[in-house]
Amino acid sequence: MEKSSINRKMSKSGLIFGSMVLAAMVLLPLAVKNAYVMHLFIMAYIGILLGMTFSMLFSAGLITLGAGAFYAIGAYGSTLLSTRLGLSFWAALPMSTLITGIVALAIGSIIVRHPGMAFTIITLLFAHVVIQATGQMEFFGGWGGIIGVETPDPLGPIQFATKTSFYYLILFLLLLTALVFHALYTSRIGRVWRSIKLSPPLAESLGINLYRYRLMAFVVASSAAGMVGSFYAHYFQMVTPEAFGGWLSIYIQLYAVLGGLEFYILGPAIGAVIMTFVPEYLRIAKEVEPIITGVFLLLIILFFSGGILGTLRRFWRAKRPVVFRVKSRHKLIAGPNVLRDE
Amino acid sequence: MTTALFVQLVVNGLVKGCTFILIVLGMDIILRGTKILNFAHGQFYMLGAYTLFMLCRLWHVNFLLSLALSGVALILVGALSYLSVFGIVQRRFTATTPFTYRFLMSAMASVGLMLILQQGTLIAFGTTERGMPSIFPQIIALGDVRLSLEKLLIILLSMFICFGLYLLMYKTKLGLAMRTVSFDPEIASLQGVNSFGMFIICFALGSALAGVAGGIIAPVFAVTPTMGTHIIFTAFLVLLVGGIGSYKGAVLGGVLVGLALSFGFQFLGGIAELFVFVFVIIILIFKPGGILGEVLD
Repeated sequence: MEKSSINRKMSKSGLIFGSMVLAAMVLLPLAVKNAYVMHLFIMAYIGILLGMTFSMLFSAGLITLGAGAFYAIGAYGSTLLSTRLGLSFWAALPMSTLITGIVALAIGSIIVRHPGMAFTIITLLFAHVVIQATGQMEFFGGWGGIIGVETPDPLGPIQFATKTSFYYLILFLLLLTALVFHALYTSRIGRVWRSIKLSPPLAESLGINLYRYRLMAFVVASSAAGMVGSFYAHYFQMVTPEAFGGWLSIYIQLYAVLGGLEFYILGPAIGAVIMTFVPEYLRIAKEVEPIITGVFLLLIILFFSGGILGTLRRFWRAKRPVVFRVKSRHKLIAGPNVLRDE
Repeated sequence: MTTALFVQLVVNGLVKGCTFILIVLGMDIILRGTKILNFAHGQFYMLGAYTLFMLCRLWHVNFLLSLALSGVALILVGALSYLSVFGIVQRRFTATTPFTYRFLMSAMASVGLMLILQQGTLIAFGTTERGMPSIFPQIIALGDVRLSLEKLLIILLSMFICFGLYLLMYKTKLGLAMRTVSFDPEIASLQGVNSFGMFIICFALGSALAGVAGGIIAPVFAVTPTMGTHIIFTAFLVLLVGGIGSYKGAVLGGVLVGLALSFGFQFLGGIAELFVFVFVIIILIFKPGGILGEVLD
């Protein structure tokens, strides 16, 4: 998953760097003994997953402000399945993912017809209404939420009692989702999505069914958000409407914008990690934090619109002469602006 | 249901509706002129309410004068935020920039602005609700129907503003220039219209409308730092019902949603908002561009 770009083949240094990051992620609990830091990592991974769902919709030319809604639906679905029906986490996770997917299909089949501003506004309103509905209805526990969600049943010798076990669980979910998303992006489907994003009329003229592909992106991304929601419910062992409302949906996009919008997997990863750890370690007061986030957001959009990775790539490209490698003959062909920097 | 209750609910609904109309008309002007979906609009509304509160309550300026002044203040805020944020973002766009990217960049910039304004006000004024005494406390009694003069005046004033806006947009040269720019900025430039100037005017006018809406409503409801965040969802709802970018739709949608919420809260309680949302989704299945069927991308 640690691929620098979707279009290009992975370079050797990229492969080494990627494996190192992966190894660091797997070995992290050996080095970090502080439970709070582990919790922050778990929250960062949840953020990465949610940011990835935003990026998936962005790759298909849709901008959602309602990722929080499907996160909430997954969490509440899983909570109700386990508290009311007594299902174990291992059954509730796939089932709540499925439920979220079905809800997304029902909602999406209506709202994906109007891409553009209408889609964005409706997703925002949908997120608002989901929070209101869970808060107003006694069936969903009201504003107090539902407490006492069971932790996952032991999986063989693995007990889900410590942060470390939850860390490995979310790491597994993260890598699994990243692999699935990456497979989608590199397949024909991903290329169709990008063509829709580039120009819907052009894509349609090539015989692409815009509605079907947009709906597919919406359902896949929303199901993934639902899966994360299920994990969240069993990790915190409680759900409250407030956990999914407020600024959550806005922060989710911020992850993607900060990391780099054109990097559908790595962008949210970098953005979410920074947005989780930087405020924590700067010890910023909760009151001032939204202002700093807002200023940060404005600065990124005004001066580094490619996000962190996009800016890095621009510097990297500007330093190196453009060289096209023709693989079959192992011959170097210099591009037209090879002498630009010399 | 008695007649008195019915009339009361209708008037309350219209007062709410008038606020929505002013806010959404501002959003529509910004959307049409500059193609920005302004998430900070609710905060402009809140700033308008605070400006009026400060002028009217603390410095005892005449109500109508302070309403006009809060409009002027928001014109300044709007023009300044366009010049310092949105103008810079939009200047970067070229003709080939995809719509998704344009839309996301300006929308995210407005989200950043929203966070700053929201939290800034919260820190400056605290979370306490600021109440204002009624400007016109008289009650008009018609038989057993009792209405406060203030609410009727709000409705009248809003209608007056809407009419003035209509004159501005359709009967003056400035309005013609604004409509031309919203049609196509490049063609407008060819006709000698200063497109960038018109963008600033559109944004400032839209913000001013939000500010006036906040000012009008300040004597009726309490002024709180979160009032903008609360109203923005309903405002988006109105925007969708009427059709994005449609002025007539904004008026019709505002009245409809205002009445629906007023009657809904009376008979259903807090769940009314949910019903209105479901209703909007049903409308959108049959009428993708809102009830008037005008679609703007």
